Amino acid sequence: MRIDIAKSALRRGTGVLGIFLAVSFALWSPSAQAAQEDGTITVSVVERASGDNGQAKNPVAGVKIHVQGAAGSADGVTDAKGLAVLNVPQTGKYDVSFDATSLPKGVAVNSNTKTTASIDFSAGVSVGTGKSLSFFVGTDTRTTKGRWGLLPQTLVNGIKLSLILAICSIGLALIYGTTGLTNFAHSEIITMAAMVTFWFNQNGPRWPLLLAAPFGIAASALMGSAFELRVWRPLRRRSTSLTSMMIVSIGMAIGTRYVYLFFFGGRNRRFAQYVGDPEIDFGPVGITPRDLGVMIISAIVVIGFSIFLLRTRFGKAIRAVSDNSDLASATGINTDRIILLVWALGGGLAGIGGVMLGAATGVQWDMGNVILLLLFAAFTVGGLGNPFGALAGSFVIGMFTELWTWVFPNVVELKTLGALIALVVILLVRPQGLLGQKERVG
Amino acid sequence: MNWGLILSNSVYTAISANAIAYMLVATGLNVHFGYTGLLNFGQAGFAAIGAYSLSIPISRFNWPWPCAVLLVIVSAIGLALLLGFTTLRLRADYLAIVTIAVAEIIRLSLNSVRFTWLTGGNDGLQGFTSFMEKINPFPQQGIWLWKQKIDGYRLWLLVSGWVLLMVVATLVYLLMRSPWGRVLRSIREDEDAARSLGKNVFAYKLQSLMIGGAIGAIGGVWLVLDKQSSQPGDFATTFTFFSYTIIILGGVARVKGPVIGTMIFLFVIQLVDISLQQATKTTPSDPSPVLPTWLIDQNNYAQLRFMVAGFALAALVVFRPQGIFGDKREQAFDVH
Repeated sequence: MRIDIAKSALRRGTGVLGIFLAVSFALWSPSAQAAQEDGTITVSVVERASGDNGQAKNPVAGVKIHVQGAAGSADGVTDAKGLAVLNVPQTGKYDVSFDATSLPKGVAVNSNTKTTASIDFSAGVSVGTGKSLSFFVGTDTRTTKGRWGLLPQTLVNGIKLSLILAICSIGLALIYGTTGLTNFAHSEIITMAAMVTFWFNQNGPRWPLLLAAPFGIAASALMGSAFELRVWRPLRRRSTSLTSMMIVSIGMAIGTRYVYLFFFGGRNRRFAQYVGDPEIDFGPVGITPRDLGVMIISAIVVIGFSIFLLRTRFGKAIRAVSDNSDLASATGINTDRIILLVWALGGGLAGIGGVMLGAATGVQWDMGNVILLLLFAAFTVGGLGNPFGALAGSFVIGMFTELWTWVFPNVVELKTLGALIALVVILLVRPQGLLGQKERVG
Repeated sequence: MNWGLILSNSVYTAISANAIAYMLVATGLNVHFGYTGLLNFGQAGFAAIGAYSLSIPISRFNWPWPCAVLLVIVSAIGLALLLGFTTLRLRADYLAIVTIAVAEIIRLSLNSVRFTWLTGGNDGLQGFTSFMEKINPFPQQGIWLWKQKIDGYRLWLLVSGWVLLMVVATLVYLLMRSPWGRVLRSIREDEDAARSLGKNVFAYKLQSLMIGGAIGAIGGVWLVLDKQSSQPGDFATTFTFFSYTIIILGGVARVKGPVIGTMIFLFVIQLVDISLQQATKTTPSDPSPVLPTWLIDQNNYAQLRFMVAGFALAALVVFRPQGIFGDKREQAFDVH
C-alpha cells in the first residue's frame, strides 16, 4: 500500500506534535505508458493523534477528495482504509484537495495542515501511471503556538527520550566497562522486556501493565544473565578476542531480532492501558499521564542506580572491576560474580527501558534496534565504559535528537541525524568522550 | 516440492549478479578488516554512495554513463577521506561506532522525504540501467540454467561482473603481495611496531580505506544494476554485517574468501528461503501446505533466513573463526 511509504518515513519523524502534510510520489508500474492514458491518483487520509508522538496513525474514512486539473477532474470518498483512488487523464498538473467539513467528529484540521497538494504527471520520474499522496490530519490543538512556544514541549520530549536512553545505556556502559564488550545484542534485551510485558498485558492473562512489567523486566535480566553464563563466560575462558565477541553479539542480535519478527509480526502494537489519555497541562507543556509516569519512573531508576553504584558494596565492586579487573580480583573481588551481576542488572535496566519505550512508542519487533545506534552514540559520547558518562551522553544525544525537530521542523524524519552528527563532532573534539579518560592513540 | 527448481535457483543465486555485488562489497571489506585490521562497520555506506553516484546522475541529470562511473570511484574515495580524517585517529571500538553512524547518516539522508526530488526517497530511483542494456551483447531471451531462466540482461551482468570481479581480485592479490600489502598486514598485527619502523600508519590506513571503499562502491553499483532500482533500504547495517559473515565464512584475509563465502552464504540462505516458500505454499488445488501452518506459514517463513544468517555469524566466529578455507595465522580478530 502506498501509505506505507509515508508511514516508514514518519516512523522516524516522531515527536513533532501537530499536523503536517507529507506528499510521497510513488511509481505505480515500471512500464512507460503513453501520456494520454488514464492515470490514477491514490489519496490517503491518515489521522495522527497527539500525545502519541505521532505513532498512532488511523485511516480516516468518508472524507471527500477533489482533484482538479486542466485535463479533467474527479471526485472520490475515502474508504475504510482511508484510501481514495481517482482516475484522471495522465497529463499535466492536478490540484488535490480534501473537504475539511467531511472529516468525522473529533478529527480536526489545524492552521498548518495543508488541505491541498498538487500532483504533476509530467514532472520527476515520469514513467508510470499512478501517483499517490497522503494527507495527515489530527486532533492536536497545540500547533497554533509559535516557534518559541514549542520549545518547552520539545525540551520535555528531549528529557523523556534522554531518560529512556540513559536507563538502557547505563547497562551497556557497565557491560563494556567490566568485560570490554560492545554488546550489539543489548537492543534485543530491550525488546525482550517489551514483548514479554506485552504478552502478559494483551495476550496471556491480560494483567494491568504495572503488574505485567516486572515479568518483562525479569525476562530481560534473565536474558542478560543467560547470555553471560552460556555465551560470554565460556568465550572469555577461551580468551576469545573482543572483536570476535563483538561480531558474535551482532550475529546473536540479528538472529534474535528475526525470531521476534517471526513470532510477533511486523506491526507496532500498544499496551492495553494508557492509550489516548488526555494530556495534563503544565503551563506551556502538555504531558500525558503515561509520559509523565515514564519520566518519573525513569528518573527514579537512574538516580537510584547511581546511588547504588556510588554507595553500596556491590556498586563499589562493580566500579572496581570496571576500573581494573585484575587489581579487583587481587583484592578478593569475585570478578565472575560481579560480571554476572552486571549482566543481570544491565539486562534488568534495559528491560525497564524497554517497557518505558514500549509504553511511549508502542511495541515493535525492531524497537530496540531502532534506538541502538542512539545508545551507542550516547555511551560513546560519554566515554566508553563509564556509566556516568553514558548518563551524560544520553542527555546530549536525547536533547540533540529532539532539538533537531525544533530547529528543522521540515526534516523531522532525519532527527537521528542530529544525534549522529553530534556524536561525530564530539569525538573529533574530544576523542575520549565527555567523561572518558585520555588515552594516547595514533 | 519442486527440488529441481529449488536447487537450480539456489545455485543461480550463488553466482548471480547479486552475488557478485556481495563479493565485491566483501572484497572491499576484506581489504579494510582482513588485511588492515580496520573495524569498518560502515561498508554499506560505501555501497550506497556507489549505487547512488551511478543512479542519481543518470536518471536525474542524464549524465553519460562513463562520467557516472567515474563519479562512483571519486565519491567513494571522497567518503574514505572524510571517514579516514575523522575517525582513523580514534580507537578501534570508536571507529566501529562512528563508521556505523556515518553509514546510517547516509542511508537516512537517502531515505528522507526532503530529498525525494534527488534520491527518490524510500522508493529510490529507477531507469538508470539503459546504458547497460544498450551494450548488452547477449540475446534478450537469455539462457536456462537447468530449471532457472536467466534473461539476457542478467546474463550480461553476470558475465561482465565475473570478469570485473576477477580483475579486482587479481589486483587485490597483487597489492597484498607487494611490499605495500605487507606493511598493511604488519599494521594489522602490530601498529606500534610498524610505526617504530618509520611507516606512516595513518597514510597506509587511509589508502586501505580508499581502495576497499572504492571496491565496495562498485559492489553497490552491481547490486542496483541487478535490481534495476536503487533503494536506501538495501544499504542498512545488516548489509555490512552479512558482508562480515561472508568474509569470515570464506576466510579472512584471503582473496578468494569473499567469493567462496558469498557463494556458500547466498546458496544456503536462498535454499532455506525458497524451500520454505515451497513448503508453505498453498494453491487452490492443494490447499494444505507441506509444513503445518501453526509452525510456519507464508507470512513468516521469510524470517527464517535472517535467523539462520544471524546465528550462523555468531556460531562461525565461535567455532570456526578461520572460516572454511581460512588460515588461522591470518585472522584479524585481535585488532585492538
